[in-house]
Amino acid sequence: MMVTNLKGSIFHYLSQTSSAASLVVFRMMFGLLMVLSIARFWAKGWIEELYLNPSYHFTFYGFEWVRPFGSFTYLIFAGAILFGLMITLGLWYRLASVGFFLTFTYIELMDKSTYLNHYYFISLISFLMIFLPANCLYSLDAKNNPNLQVARIPRWTIDCLKLMVLILYFYAGLAKINSDWLLKALPMRIWLPANNHLPWIGSLLNLSWVAFLFSWIGCLYDLSIGFLLWKKDTRGIAYLLVVLFHLMTAVLFPIGMFPYIMIGTGLIFFSGSFHEKIVQKIKTFFGGKARRFDRVFQYPPFAYKMTLTVFTLFFALQLTLPFRYMLHPGELFWTEQGYRFSWRVMLMEKSGEATFLVKDRQGKLLEVNNKDFLTPLQEKMMATQPDMILEYAHILRDHYKDLGWENPEVYADTYVSLNGRRGKALVDPQVNLALEKESFKNKYWIENWDDEIKGF
Amino acid sequence: MKNQFLKSFLFILALSFLFSACMEDSEKDDSTDSNLDRQVLLTNWADSFIIPGYERFDQKFQQLKIETGDFQQDPTAQNLQDLRDALKASYTSWQEIEMFEVGPAEQVTLRNFFNIYPADIEGISANISEESPILNLPSSYSRQGFPALDYLVNGVGAEDEDILGFYQDDLKGEQRLDYLMTLVGRMNELLSQVISTWKSGYREEFISKTGLDIGSSMGGMVNAFTLYYERHVRTGKIGIPSGATIATGGNVNPEKLESFYYPSISRELAITANQASMDFFLGKSSTGTGASFKSYLDGIGAKDPSSGTLLSSDIQSQFELVQSKLKSLDPNLLDQINSDNSSMIDVHTEMQKLVRLLKVDMSSAMSITITYTDNDGD
Repeated sequence: MMVTNLKGSIFHYLSQTSSAASLVVFRMMFGLLMVLSIARFWAKGWIEELYLNPSYHFTFYGFEWVRPFGSFTYLIFAGAILFGLMITLGLWYRLASVGFFLTFTYIELMDKSTYLNHYYFISLISFLMIFLPANCLYSLDAKNNPNLQVARIPRWTIDCLKLMVLILYFYAGLAKINSDWLLKALPMRIWLPANNHLPWIGSLLNLSWVAFLFSWIGCLYDLSIGFLLWKKDTRGIAYLLVVLFHLMTAVLFPIGMFPYIMIGTGLIFFSGSFHEKIVQKIKTFFGGKARRFDRVFQYPPFAYKMTLTVFTLFFALQLTLPFRYMLHPGELFWTEQGYRFSWRVMLMEKSGEATFLVKDRQGKLLEVNNKDFLTPLQEKMMATQPDMILEYAHILRDHYKDLGWENPEVYADTYVSLNGRRGKALVDPQVNLALEKESFKNKYWIENWDDEIKGF
Repeated sequence: MKNQFLKSFLFILALSFLFSACMEDSEKDDSTDSNLDRQVLLTNWADSFIIPGYERFDQKFQQLKIETGDFQQDPTAQNLQDLRDALKASYTSWQEIEMFEVGPAEQVTLRNFFNIYPADIEGISANISEESPILNLPSSYSRQGFPALDYLVNGVGAEDEDILGFYQDDLKGEQRLDYLMTLVGRMNELLSQVISTWKSGYREEFISKTGLDIGSSMGGMVNAFTLYYERHVRTGKIGIPSGATIATGGNVNPEKLESFYYPSISRELAITANQASMDFFLGKSSTGTGASFKSYLDGIGAKDPSSGTLLSSDIQSQFELVQSKLKSLDPNLLDQINSDNSSMIDVHTEMQKLVRLLKVDMSSAMSITITYTDNDGD
C-alpha cells in the first residue's frame, strides 16, 4: 500500500508541468553570466598566470591527464565562451551544453590550486543543463525548428536546478555548524578586521560581537535560504536576502563572480508567470512565433528513462559526497581528506609553510627552493593540503631523478596554523614521500592535530 | 502563512543576536579601536622607525664617508683606525634599517648593494683595475657595500702595516684608495635617494595604502620583515656560517660570516639586528612605544583559541629567547664556530621557530593576501 502510494505520488509529481519560461530565462542568464565570467578571467590575465606560467600543475586524482597545453589553452577558454554564447542564444543547444560542460570542467580540473567551490557548482549545473529542454522557446533552435516550441515542460526539469541550489546552500550551512564557527566566531574574527578601513562599517568589523553575528547569520542564512526561496510566501523576502547577503560578501571577500552567479541563479525559484514577463521583453528579438502555447514538452522514451536515471544517481551522489570525510580518521579541517566538492566555503583560515628536503643514497642532499618550482598561489595552497604536498613531493622526486640522483627521497618539514591556533607540523617529517602513493585511503603520514573542532 | 514564515525568520534572527551578545567575549581585551587603525600604525612606522632610522644611519654613514676621504688623502695608521671605527659604527647602524626593504629601498634593492656577503675578493681586485667598474649588476653585489669595505679595510693584510702597505703601494695604491671612495660614494648616492624619496612624498603614499592586499603597505611590510628575518638574520648571519641550514649539508662555512674580516663585531651585528627586529615588532623606538605589530595583533585579539595565549607574547618571548642565546655566544662568532658550533646551531633552531611564528602565525592572524586571484577561503 505504502509502496503504491509512493510510486503513485512519484508518477504524479513527474507528470506535473511548469511554464517553460523559467528554464528558458535561466538558460539565457546562465549562458551570459558564464561568458562574462570567463571573459573577466581572461581579461585579468589569469589564463597566463594560472595555467601558462607555472612549470608544474597540481592534478586531481584520476584526472592526471587533464593539463593545460601551452598557448592552445586559450582555445579551451575561447571554446567555453563560444559555447556559453550558443547556450544564451539557444543555438545547437545540445552540442553547446555538452561543449560547455566539457570545456569548463576541463578548465576546472587543470590545476587543483585554483579549486573553487563555485567552479564546481557551475560544472554541476552545466551538466544538468545538458539533459534539460532549455532551448524549447526563444532560442535560435526553436526559431529554426518550430516543432521544438512548447509552452510547458516537466516541472522536475526546473526543480532539479532548484534542488542543486538548495543542496549548495544547505550543505554550506551544515558545514558551518561547528564549534569554531559558532562558538568562537572563527575565522570571521580573523577576516573581518582586515576590512576595517572601509567607510561606514569599517570600525564595526573590529568588534567581536559583529564577528559572531556574521557567523550565526551566515550559518542560518545558508541552512534556510534554499527553503525560503522555494516557499512561495517567503520567496520575495528570501530573494532580497540573497541579493543583500551576496553583495555584502562581494564587498568583504575576494570571491569574484560567485555572488553575482548566485544572485542570478536565485531567480530560478520565481514563478513561471514572473519569467514569462521577462520573456515578453526579449520576445520581439526572436520574432515571437510561439503563439500556440498549448504543447507540452515530451522526452523521447529512452531519453526520459536515461535522464531520470542519471539525475537520480547524480543527486544521490550529491547528497552523500559531502559526508565522505567520515570515512577518514582525524580532523577534517586539518587533514582535508574529503574536504573538496562538499560546499565547504569560507570556512577556515589555514596557512602554512612547507620546506622540502631531497636526498639520495650517494649522500646528495638539498633544501628545495619552492619558488623554483611553484607560483606563490600554488605554494600557498600546497603548504596546507596534504594531497598537494604529496604531489609536489613526487614532482621533486621525478625532477631530481632526471638530474641523475639515485632514488631520491623527499621529506617535508611543514608548519600549519588553523583558525589562529599556533602552528604545528602537518605531515610526518620522517616519512619519505617519494614512496607514498596518492589514493582515497587514509594518509597515515598526516600528523595528528592537538585540538578538535566539533560538529560537521 | 506568510506572516508565520516571516515571524520565524525574525525570531531566528533575534535569537542569533541574543546568542552573539552572550558570546561576546567577557575576556575582551583592553584593546581600543586605535590599535586596529592601520593608518596610525603605518604613520608610526614611517615617523618613528623608518625615516628616523635612515637618518641615524645616514649620520653614521656620513662620518664613514669623511673618514674614507681622510684615509684616501692620507693612508696613515691613525686614519686607518678612524676609518675602521667609523665602518664599525656604520655597519652596526645598518642592522637597524636593513629590514625596511619596502618602497624606495625595495625599488633600488638597497640591500643588494649594501650587504651581500661573503665579499667577492677576486671581483674586487678586478674592479680596482677598472677605470669605471660596473656596480649595478647582480654579479657585482658582493664587490661593494659593507662586505667589500670590510675586506678592504680589515682583510687585505694580516697586520695594519700590511694593510697600509696595500694602499701605499706605488703602483696600485692610488687605484685602491679610489675604489674605496667609489664604493662609499655609490652607497651614499643610493642612501640619499632612498631618504629623499621617503621625505618627498613616499611617506604620504605609504600611510595611505591601508588595506591588507597586495600592494598595501602593511602587506609589503609583513613580507619584507619576515623575509629579512628569515633570509638575512637566520640564514645569513647564523645558518650558513654554522652549517645549520640544510643547503650547507652540515658543513660549516666560517668564511661566509658577516664581517668576516673583522669578526670581533660579528655577534654585535647579529644582536643589533635581532634587537632591532624585536623593537620594531614591539613598537619600541627612541620616542617611546607606539603602534606596532604587537598592538595590532593584540587589537584583533590574536590568540591561540585552544590555549588562550596571545600570539604577540609568544613572538615576544621567542625574540627574547633568541636574544639571550645570542648574548651567550662568543663575541667573535668565528671563534664560536671553531670552538663550539652546537651553540650556533641552537640559535638557528630558535630563530627558525621565530621565523615560522612571524611568517605563518602572524601573517595568518592578520589575513594578509598574497595573490590577486579569487578564493573562497580554501
